[in-house]
Amino acid sequence: MAKILEDLKLTVIAGFVLTVVMVFATEAIYDSQMSAPEKAVSDMMNNM
Amino acid sequence: MEAELFLIRYLHVLSGIMWIGILWYFNFVQIPSMPKIPDEQKPAIGKVIAPEALFWFRWGAFFTVFFGLALAWRMGYLMDALTLQQPNIGFGMWLGLIMAFNVWFVIWPAQKIALGIVEADAALKPAMARRAMLFSRTNTMLSIPMLASMISAQNPIM
Repeated sequence: MAKILEDLKLTVIAGFVLTVVMVFATEAIYDSQMSAPEKAVSDMMNNM
Repeated sequence: MEAELFLIRYLHVLSGIMWIGILWYFNFVQIPSMPKIPDEQKPAIGKVIAPEALFWFRWGAFFTVFFGLALAWRMGYLMDALTLQQPNIGFGMWLGLIMAFNVWFVIWPAQKIALGIVEADAALKPAMARRAMLFSRTNTMLSIPMLASMISAQNPIM
């Protein structure tokens, strides 16, 4: 970890990687909070 | 009510720009420039500019968190965000809290020793300077998803 943080470019890249991970984690949490009918509507909307 | 919320959000954003602006100044400008500065000019950074920047940096962090929590509380989503029931703003809130903790309880105490603001063993200074740099870099890394999360609360990413 210290090797990444000592290099500014790697630090910025790691920040963007964390951002992508956070976006997928956010989606996963929202999906887990949906009821079955809400999930069906959401999936249908995504496939349109 | 609307004017109050506007004022709290406005102060949250102003404090946040102060905080993250100085964080990025340290990491993108000051730290990479230090090896290029002649030794006789380095005290200008260590004795004048850095202590002044650290003052606005740590209080910017404090008031960003203060007004951010106040806004979330007044808007009624503070607990939902902290428990990640609202993860888009919740992740940003947690990252901001971790970053503010780093500022007040790791970076500032280490910088006080590294810059000679408090009395300490001279041998300790390089280790404290390295600790401050690594945690400042950690905050720079975390600021990227933190800001994405804050913006996604207004404009969802996906």
